[in-house]
Amino acid sequence: MPTSVCRGGTAVALLIVGSLRILPAMAQDTRTAGEDQEVSGQLKKLSLEQLSKIDVTSVSKEPVTVARTPAAVYVLTQEDLRQSGVTTIPEALRLVPGVEVARIDSSKWSIGVRGFGSRLSRSVLVLIDGRSVYTQLFAGVYWEVQDTLLEDVDRIEVIRGPGGTIWGANAVNAVINIITKNARDTKGILATIGGGNVDQGTGAFRYGGNRKHIDFRVYGKGSSRGPEFHPDRDRFDSWQMGQAGFRADWKGPSRDTLTVQGDIYDADDGEDVVVSQYSPPSAATVVGAAEVSGGNLLAQWNHTVSGGSDFHLQAYFDRTVRHEASFAESRNTIDIDFLDRMTLPLHQTFLWGLGARFSPGNATPVIPTILFIPNQRTDKLYSGFVQDEIPLIGDRLSVTLGSKILHNIYTGFELQPSARLLWTPTANQSFWAGFTRAVRTPSRVDDEDMLSGLIAASPPTFIRLIGDGKFDSERLLSYEAGYRSLVSSSIRFDVAVFYNDYDHLLSIEPGVPFAETSPSPTHTVIPYFIRNGVLGTTYGIEVAPDWRPTSWWRLSGSYSFLHMDMGKTAGSHDSATPASTEGSSPQQQAVVQSSFQLPKGFEFGQTYRYVSALPAKQIRGYSTGDVSLGWLLGRSWEVSVAGRDLLQPFHAEMNGDPGPVVGIRRSVYAKITLRD
Amino acid sequence: MPRMINQHQTSAARFQRRLLLRCFIGFVLTASSLAAQNPKPKEYELKAVYLFNFARLAAWPDTAGSSKSESFAICVLGEDPFGPFLDAVISGENIGGRAVVARRISDPRDAASCRVLYVSSSEETRLKQILTTLNKARVLTVSDMPQFSQRGGMIQFVADNNKIRFEVNLKNTSDSGLTLSSELLKVAVAVITSPPPGD
Repeated sequence: MPTSVCRGGTAVALLIVGSLRILPAMAQDTRTAGEDQEVSGQLKKLSLEQLSKIDVTSVSKEPVTVARTPAAVYVLTQEDLRQSGVTTIPEALRLVPGVEVARIDSSKWSIGVRGFGSRLSRSVLVLIDGRSVYTQLFAGVYWEVQDTLLEDVDRIEVIRGPGGTIWGANAVNAVINIITKNARDTKGILATIGGGNVDQGTGAFRYGGNRKHIDFRVYGKGSSRGPEFHPDRDRFDSWQMGQAGFRADWKGPSRDTLTVQGDIYDADDGEDVVVSQYSPPSAATVVGAAEVSGGNLLAQWNHTVSGGSDFHLQAYFDRTVRHEASFAESRNTIDIDFLDRMTLPLHQTFLWGLGARFSPGNATPVIPTILFIPNQRTDKLYSGFVQDEIPLIGDRLSVTLGSKILHNIYTGFELQPSARLLWTPTANQSFWAGFTRAVRTPSRVDDEDMLSGLIAASPPTFIRLIGDGKFDSERLLSYEAGYRSLVSSSIRFDVAVFYNDYDHLLSIEPGVPFAETSPSPTHTVIPYFIRNGVLGTTYGIEVAPDWRPTSWWRLSGSYSFLHMDMGKTAGSHDSATPASTEGSSPQQQAVVQSSFQLPKGFEFGQTYRYVSALPAKQIRGYSTGDVSLGWLLGRSWEVSVAGRDLLQPFHAEMNGDPGPVVGIRRSVYAKITLRD
Repeated sequence: MPRMINQHQTSAARFQRRLLLRCFIGFVLTASSLAAQNPKPKEYELKAVYLFNFARLAAWPDTAGSSKSESFAICVLGEDPFGPFLDAVISGENIGGRAVVARRISDPRDAASCRVLYVSSSEETRLKQILTTLNKARVLTVSDMPQFSQRGGMIQFVADNNKIRFEVNLKNTSDSGLTLSSELLKVAVAVITSPPPGD
C-alpha cells in the first residue's frame, strides 16, 4: 500500500512529495459491504439537487468540510438566506450562534462575536470573496457598505473564536467569510423588485452568461430604506444605496481557474452627528447623511499541482470614500496574498502563505475638533503563516499546528501560534479542541488622532481623546473545544465552549487638564489617552441543533451563553470601559427557526429570536419573530412576503449613536423575483 | 430555486419511525447505537448514486418489444472506479418494474443491451470508436471524460470545487430517442442543445 511507503519517508522526502500520489481507493477503504449499503441508502434519499451540493473527498485535495474543522464554524447557506427573508448581510448574521447583532438605526449595526459588540465590529475579520473589508482607520467594519446581490451569495461561513493561523490580521474574536457563487452557477436573468413599510423600495438585476470558457455575470441593485422609530421624531436615518458589480470565472483545460470580480457602490446613510467647535465653543447635533462610496477589483488564480497540492494567488484593490459632517476619509488598499497547500508524507497537509497590504489613507479634517495627525498615512502590513495538519491515528485523530507572523507599522512583529486537535471516533461525530494566541494590532484611531468634544460651554471645556502612539496590540489567549454529531442523516448537533483570556485591551486613561489658547477663545482640555489598561476573561457555550423531521420540514436554532468578566490593570484609572464592555453584550441569545416546504411551490418560514438585556446600554431583553412566505410559480417567478420584528410595534436593540435610543420597527416586505 | 417536495414517501415514513426511536434514546447517543453514516462520501460513491438517479430520471422510448423479465442494466465500460459501491446502490432497486443490475463490460458491442453506460476514463483514447459502435442505440451514456458531452456523449460529470455536478447534451440524448426529466435538466450545470460549431 502507498501508505506504508509514505511511513518510511524522511525529511528529504518532503521536497519531492509533489510527485507522490495516493490512490483514493487504496487510502482508507475499510468499510464493509453492510456499511456501503447504509451509506448508499443515505445518499439515495437525497434529491439530485441535494446530491449536487454534497462535498466529496477527492483525489487532489481533502476538503475541509464543517464536520471536520477543528473550530467553531457555522455556515449560512443560500437556502438559509432565502428562507429567512433578510435583505442585508448583518441581518442574516442574527441566525449564527455566538454572534450578537444589534441594529442601532436604519443603516447601522453593532455586531460582536462572543462579546465586544460595537458599531465597527472590532477584532472581527470580515472577508468577501477573500477581500478584507476591515477598515484600517477605525479597526472595524462599516457593515452598511458591505453588500452584494444576496441571491448570488453561495454561503456565509462564520468561524467564532480566533480564526486560526491562516486568516489575516485582527481575526481575534471571529472570521466572517462571505462567499459568492461561481459565475457558472448564476447563468441567466435574475430580476427582483420589492417594497414594504421600512424597506421602501428595492430592485436588483443580474445577467449571467458565458463566452468560450469564461462564465460571467453582471449585476446592479438599489435600495431605499426609511427611518426607524424615533421617540423624539428626529427621523434622520433614511438610507439609500446603489451597487453594481461583475464576476468572471475562467476554467482552464485542466489545472487552472481564474476569477476576476469587482463592485462599485454609492450610498447616503442618514445620521445624527455631534459637531463640536472651538470658536465659538459649541456642540451641535447635525442631521445629515454620510456620503459613502467605493469600489474594488479582485483577481484570483488557483492552480492545482499534481499529487494533492495546489496554490492560490490573489490580488485586489479596494477604494473607500466616506464623508460625514464631522470627518472624512478616502483610502486605497492594495493587497496581495499567496497560499500554497501540499500533501506531505504521512498524509500531512501543509499550508504556507505570504501576504502584503499597502493602504494609504487620507483623513482631511472637516472640523477642527477631529484631527488625524498626519492627515495622510500609509498602513503597511506584511504577513506570513505556516500550518501543518498531521494525522496521528489514521483519519481519526489529527493535530494542526501553525503560526502566523505579521509585521505592521505600529507594533512591528507579532506572533500568533495555534494548536488544534480533531478526533473523529466515528464517521458521524467529531470532537475538537484548540489553543490560540491572537492579537488585534492598533489602527490609526488608536495611534495618531485627537478627537475633542465640548462638555461644558462656560468656561469652555473639552474632553479630548488622544492617540499618541503608545497603544500596543490587544492580546488574546483562547481555549476552545467543541463536539459535532450527525446523530442521524436528519439530526445534526453542534456544541462549542470557550474560555478567552484577554490582556492589553484598550482603555482610556485621564491625563492632567490644561488650558489651550489656540484656537481661541482659551479653553480647558481634559485629555484622555488611549492605553492598554483593560483585561478580562470571557467564557461561554453555544449550542446549535438542526433537525429535519421530514423531507419538507426543518427545525433548527441555537442558544448562546456568554459571561464576561472585565477589569482594569493596577496602573489603570479606567473603570468605565470594563463595566461598559461587560454590559454591552447579551448574556443569553436564542434562535428557533422552522421552515416548511409546502405543496404547490409554497415555502413558509418562522423565526423566533430572544436577546437578553444590555445593562450598560439601558436596553431591555427582547423577543421577536420573523415569518416569510414564498411561492414559486412555475420555474421563473417567485413571490415572497416577509415580516420582520413582528412581536411588537418597535423595540430597541442598542443605544443611539448618538442621541436617544432608536426603536427598530415591525416591518413587512414583499418581493417578486424573476429567473430566466 | 426548485423546491423539495416529499418524493420518497415510503423512505420518509421509515425514517420517521427510526427518528422517533432515536429521540427516546436521547440526544447524546453512543456510537454503537448508530448505523455508520459517512458525512462525506467519496467521489465515486456519489457518482454511483448519480448514475442510479440518471437511470431513474430518464425515459426510454416505448419498449413494448421487451418483456418485464428483462433486467435494467447499468453498465461500466472499461476500468471500474465504483467497486462494490455501485452494486450496493442498485441492490434491490426496480426501475419501471425491472430489476436493476450492474454489469461490467469491456467490449462496446456488449453495450447495446445496457440502459445506462458509464464510459470509464480508461477508454478515452477509443471514445470515438465506442460512440460509433453505439450508433444511436438507446443507451444513456455517462462519463467523467473532459469534453465528453461535446464529443458525442450525453451526460458528463464535472467537478465543482469539492462537489460533483454534471452537464447534459440534450441533442445527443434526443438523437437516441431518450428523454430526460426536467428535474435532471434543472440540476445540470449546463444543458447543450446544439451541435458544437464545425461538427
